[in-house]
Amino acid sequence: MDLITSLAEVPETELFTGGHGGCRSCGAAIAVRQALKALGPRTIITIPASCMATIGGSDLTTAWEIPFYHALFETAPAVASGIRAALDIQGIKDVNVVSWAGDAGTADIGFQSLTGAAERQENIIHVCYDNETYMNTGGQAGSVTPYLAVTPDTPGGKPTPRKDMLAIMAAHRPAYLATASIAYPLDLIQKFQKAKEIQGFRYIHILAPCFKGWGIREDQTVQVARLAVESGLWLLYEEIKGQRRVTYRPERRVPVADYLRLQGRFKQMDDAAVAALQAEVDRRFQEVQS
Amino acid sequence: MPQLLNGNEAAAHAARLARVEVLASYPITPAAPVMEKITQFITEGSLKANFVRVESDHSALAAALGASMAGARSFLITNSQGLAYMSEVLYHVSGLRQPVVMAVVNRALAAPHSRFPEHGDAIAQETAGWIQFFCENNQEVLDSLLQAFRLGEDERVRLPVMVNYEGYIQSHTREVVDLPDQKVVDSFLPLVRRPVLDVENPLAVNTVASPAVYMDYKFHQDEALKRAGEVAREINAIYAGLTGRDWGGPVSGYRLEGAEIVLVTMGSLVSTARVAVDALRSAGEKAGLLKVRLFRPFPLTEIRATLKTVKAVVALDKNIVFSSGGALAREIRAGLYGHAAVPVYSYILGLGGRDVDVEDLMAIYRQVRDQRQAGAVPAPYQWYGL
Amino acid sequence: MAAKELPVVPSARPGTMAAGAAMEKIREQRPVIDQGKCDLCRLCLFYCPDAALTLNQGQVTVNLHFCKGCGICAVECPVRAITMVPEYPSDRGFLEK
Repeated sequence: MDLITSLAEVPETELFTGGHGGCRSCGAAIAVRQALKALGPRTIITIPASCMATIGGSDLTTAWEIPFYHALFETAPAVASGIRAALDIQGIKDVNVVSWAGDAGTADIGFQSLTGAAERQENIIHVCYDNETYMNTGGQAGSVTPYLAVTPDTPGGKPTPRKDMLAIMAAHRPAYLATASIAYPLDLIQKFQKAKEIQGFRYIHILAPCFKGWGIREDQTVQVARLAVESGLWLLYEEIKGQRRVTYRPERRVPVADYLRLQGRFKQMDDAAVAALQAEVDRRFQEVQS
Repeated sequence: MPQLLNGNEAAAHAARLARVEVLASYPITPAAPVMEKITQFITEGSLKANFVRVESDHSALAAALGASMAGARSFLITNSQGLAYMSEVLYHVSGLRQPVVMAVVNRALAAPHSRFPEHGDAIAQETAGWIQFFCENNQEVLDSLLQAFRLGEDERVRLPVMVNYEGYIQSHTREVVDLPDQKVVDSFLPLVRRPVLDVENPLAVNTVASPAVYMDYKFHQDEALKRAGEVAREINAIYAGLTGRDWGGPVSGYRLEGAEIVLVTMGSLVSTARVAVDALRSAGEKAGLLKVRLFRPFPLTEIRATLKTVKAVVALDKNIVFSSGGALAREIRAGLYGHAAVPVYSYILGLGGRDVDVEDLMAIYRQVRDQRQAGAVPAPYQWYGL
Repeated sequence: MAAKELPVVPSARPGTMAAGAAMEKIREQRPVIDQGKCDLCRLCLFYCPDAALTLNQGQVTVNLHFCKGCGICAVECPVRAITMVPEYPSDRGFLEK
């Protein structure tokens, strides 16, 4: 398999078209557009309750050019497991089966079916597009919402740290695991290309900011996604059968404060909290690089 | 060929004969043996199917739904807590018109916790849009499951089907069950594929429905469920021609000729009621029995036709809709309303596995007969066996 | 009164949102590309949430039915070839092909 080496090699076909109902600057839409460039038309995607499930289809119209199913909140990985079982028994090959969920559909209400599918080593790709809150219901806090983030139901700042989904999913020993960012499309597309060729359970976690939930300007969606990576807060790596390879390393990390101060949701963070986060980021960065 | 099989074994054989392709099922007492037996069939090679060893009942139906939408014939088992848990998925399956077939081994719902049989679990899902069969014995379990696949997949129907039989009384009790030949079943159940998740013909399934379309979808769904009664009758006739076993349509009568007081019931109580009716007839009572085989769609026309000339109906419900009474009684009264002023006596019995025997049914019959003679208007419902 | 004719399985067919796209009705600014500055890095094509930017005969062009005017492309262009220009209701009769 030849990984693309430049954006010029990416196919032009759009599998998630314009005209969809996402907000201006929707990070989720950017993520799915990029991913589908690698996955291609022989892909069946199931998306549980989330912004992504709803923006692409209304009554008799849709932006999806591939088979799509808007699943119940808890169920995307279970539905995907059933789809794969059906394709296999019919001898239908070379079809990507993807469960594409937000953070709730992955880490919280969807976790049961996710852990089940991972344990069964289902031949599917689960993608978490992570905007770190429950945006579809108005932006309430979930388990992967960062510590001290202000949300409609944590107006004083979230009292607990973000749950480490990557460690949790790594513990399931998936065939492939990767982090990605919408600000690094070549890296993201290559990872989906790789995932596509691997059999077994694959997990890809994409950081996809939401201007509304994060309290940033609309046009800063990609910029803030980049800062998360450049500060070392969001690490870009992949693991094939547990062997980790860092795919992008910022040459010189920017201070975490540069990332935080652009976002209205972190207004509850005082200097001590920012310093603590910087220390945590430093520690993790060292750990991962080695 | 006849074998001594319990209800669970009968169900497993039905799934095997129907050549189910995906089993996505979660164990629950006392239904789990069905799944176990099917996985044995798969392992020993007598059934070519994929087993999705899901991690919950809710995921079981979600996976079965996914498999059905991707074109495979899907099957699962559940009851009580599992059925209640997967409740929201039931509505997806019916709303998306997928012919998933499910064996429900009826069991009481907690709380308090119970392992034992009654129909409350299935009745709680009466609005979910599924076709609901209730089986009298293990032979009927096998035959109804086979008919269920054809019924659900029929072009005029395209709906999921629940086949109900009672925990322990039926699931774990052995009776003679005749297994039809695989060739006979193959001719009865040709492979039907209608994938809606198909890379050759992409569709976006379950887009957000505005008020402009939701109600119309529900209308079409309702029409389909209403059609299912007639299609069930047709399919039963075809099956009868192939196997010699005729379960009748949505209802079937026993000793209704000249009957004045008719017992109406579903499930295992039907076989008990047959014995009771024989005993009552021997004692000179003009007793009769109407078996309700299909609870959804409820056979309103047949109910009217068979009951409008009787003197009294005794509805025997192994379920309770709190403060409202028995589901069967309610449906019968609704069916007769405006057509015939036949009094319907409603009895709640057998909940949580409390045993109901022939003597109980005869006592209920006599109670009704005496209440009628006294000219009393039937109570909304009465409890029996407390 | 009869129910609407609908597919048996609630679903929609591909191409239907694109066909009806009319984001010009909500847009408050639109991107203008200086083709002279553009070096065809293609990043804007991948950063657009709405697939509004495409390469047509070697030039980046904007589909004004898809573009919601978010401004990401202008912020992200490494050579600053894109400027966001305000749009007012009176402008909305005129669309680039």
